[in-house]
Amino acid sequence: MTAIEVDRLSHVYAGAEGGVPALQDISLKVEAGKFVVIVGPSGCGKTSLLMMLAGLRHQSQGTILCDGRPIADPDPSRVGVVFQEASLFPWLTALDNTEFPLALRGGPREERRRRAEQMLNLVGLEGFGARYPHELSGGMKQRVSIARGLVQDPPVLLMDEPFAALDEQTRMTMGHELLRIWSQTRKTVVFITHSLTEAVYLADEVLVMSPRPGRIIDRVPIPLPRPRTYEMMATDTFGQLRERIWQQIRKTE
Amino acid sequence: MSQVQIVSARLALFAAVLAAWALLPTYGVVDPRLLPPLGDVLSMLARQLGRPQVHEAIGITALEVIVAFIIAVPIGAALGVLAAENDYFGQIFKPMLFYVFSVPKSIFLPMFILVFGIGFPQKVAYAAFSTVFIVIMSATAAVESVKQDHVLVARSCGATRGQILLRIYVPSMMPVLLETLRISMIFNFTGVMIAEMYASRTGIGHLIANWGENFQMPELFSGVILLAAVAIAFNEAVRLLEGRVSKWRT
Amino acid sequence: MRRPAPSTVRWGLLVALLVLWELLPGTKLIPELFLPSLSKTLTVLWIDRAEYAHALMVTLYEVAIAMLIACGAGILVGALVGGIAVLRNLMLPVFSSLYAVPIVILYPIFTAWFGIGSESKIAFAGIYGFFPVMLSTAAGIRTIDPQYLLAARSMGATLPQQITRVIIPASIPTVLAGLRLGGALTIIGVVVSEMLTSSAGIGYLVTRYRTILDSPHVFAAILMILLLSILFDLLARAVERRTLVWQTAGRREKAGAAATPAMPAPAPV
Repeated sequence: MTAIEVDRLSHVYAGAEGGVPALQDISLKVEAGKFVVIVGPSGCGKTSLLMMLAGLRHQSQGTILCDGRPIADPDPSRVGVVFQEASLFPWLTALDNTEFPLALRGGPREERRRRAEQMLNLVGLEGFGARYPHELSGGMKQRVSIARGLVQDPPVLLMDEPFAALDEQTRMTMGHELLRIWSQTRKTVVFITHSLTEAVYLADEVLVMSPRPGRIIDRVPIPLPRPRTYEMMATDTFGQLRERIWQQIRKTE
Repeated sequence: MSQVQIVSARLALFAAVLAAWALLPTYGVVDPRLLPPLGDVLSMLARQLGRPQVHEAIGITALEVIVAFIIAVPIGAALGVLAAENDYFGQIFKPMLFYVFSVPKSIFLPMFILVFGIGFPQKVAYAAFSTVFIVIMSATAAVESVKQDHVLVARSCGATRGQILLRIYVPSMMPVLLETLRISMIFNFTGVMIAEMYASRTGIGHLIANWGENFQMPELFSGVILLAAVAIAFNEAVRLLEGRVSKWRT
Repeated sequence: MRRPAPSTVRWGLLVALLVLWELLPGTKLIPELFLPSLSKTLTVLWIDRAEYAHALMVTLYEVAIAMLIACGAGILVGALVGGIAVLRNLMLPVFSSLYAVPIVILYPIFTAWFGIGSESKIAFAGIYGFFPVMLSTAAGIRTIDPQYLLAARSMGATLPQQITRVIIPASIPTVLAGLRLGGALTIIGVVVSEMLTSSAGIGYLVTRYRTILDSPHVFAAILMILLLSILFDLLARAVERRTLVWQTAGRREKAGAAATPAMPAPAPV
């Protein structure tokens, strides 16, 4: 079953002299339950693409379907979003932050609290609900951010370089954690990163984008077995896959 | 230094100043006609606080402060928000605002007197005038302090415009708003004082100016202490509130 | 239609204001008593230029001395308070609380002590300008990037060398901004005190002509004060711009936010 279908998507930013082409003729299909990673040089438009998948920006041309229905506006019950900066609201506790999308909808308080607590437990933050963001580490803040993205149980989770602001060790731990959460919830994940190692480690398939105007220039399936382990990073297969992606990116420079 | 040590040191400093004020004039080190001993000033203050004339003056001043504030804050806030939200408007007026602050607003006091005469409306109008600019500037800063990242997150959670305003803008701006309140009041109070001291027949400012002219030093100092105490009390009260609301602010 | 540039709009507004100042007074909308026309104001200023020049001299003299005191003492005390941690923790919050008190209420004390001549104005305006200079110097010293000092020490700089070669140059931008503010406040302090109780100076002229309802003369004086403040501001900013090149260097980002409460808001006057 196809969770996400993008058909001939193009986008041009308004500007002087006809505008700046950002994305060019992007078509892709993501099967439900798959973990797809997008890599590409800075400025290639991967974040823009993600914004459009989330309904936060409207594309100039082309369609985006999620579960068969078009994406027009942000809908956290269909698409959850996790940003690079955790962007937790500093005046709310971790629990309140997680609960935020539910609070927007209204509904019984008890129900919302319970759900939010469930999510915090899922991301490994049981008992931290009453803490404020300034009392949490970078990794913990991102976990709350993930919990918030998942709180309405959307089938799709979009993640824009969520671990970029973390140090390498935390990053590796978080990646591992993310895979655990993913295997428990079976969401469809679209993940953007700059790190090729991270991409190969996490993905079922890696999509490589060209510099602006962004196009998909390669799809690299990752046949490594699951669950992934750190040891796999030292194998030849891992190295070859990463090398392939790197060569694709280098060709476009 | 620990917090306790700091506070005690400050108290000790304060006590030393008070002691000097009490002793130096009493022993003739400083001319007691120019600087009445602290004891005299305090007993004079107690006496003044009992006089109906003083009550009336306090009441008038308080009313002027409140009314001017009620006028200046909404107008300033509206303009400030406009300057923050509307880029064009903001770009035109923001640089002008800085020049406004280097100009003494008190020079426009005669204008207000010429238009309103001497009295309650003139003082209120002038005080509101001298306050509105800082409110504008602070309101602009408050709106601009809201992080666009947060707005984006809220949108990704499906928030409507109204929800974004209520759940993101308001909590984000709260600490700055309180600070605005506090600083605007300082400006407001100063404006009222100047107006009362310059040309007025009523109010505490007028009383003080009068006492000064007539060399009634104990009365003058008692008035100054009273005003200083009220100003500081209000300021600290709002600051405490600010502290409570800003625990999350980096 | 493309929107005109903001600076064009600003100049346009200024010109429009001047035009209105010339045309509206004397009409039903604005009686001449409230606001005499621009030409009348300028005419009066020209005719009585000797009187105004003399008053300006007095005012400038008071401003100059008060500025010397305010800036000199402000920088010195500010450097001490900012540099010495004990003093800083002790005194800074005290000063920032004192900022809430309208300093103008102290002016009658000064007239009682020093009379209505220049001394009381200088004393009052001196204090008025002292606080912002002191607070911004203290803030400037505090927010010097510790990395600079670390680098200097690692290169073997002695304490006097650290002060002269790192601390002073790094704090110049903030000190200059404080001087600009302090200078503006000194001018304001002199003008206010001259308006309140005085026998000479531009502020005195404002009051004197107001009491006899001579609007043109009042506004001529107001105009002079406006020009004086604006000229000073332009001058101060020009000086600041010269040092702009490295102005953003040496400040910690967070300290910028923390320094704001220490730096007072502009003049409440």
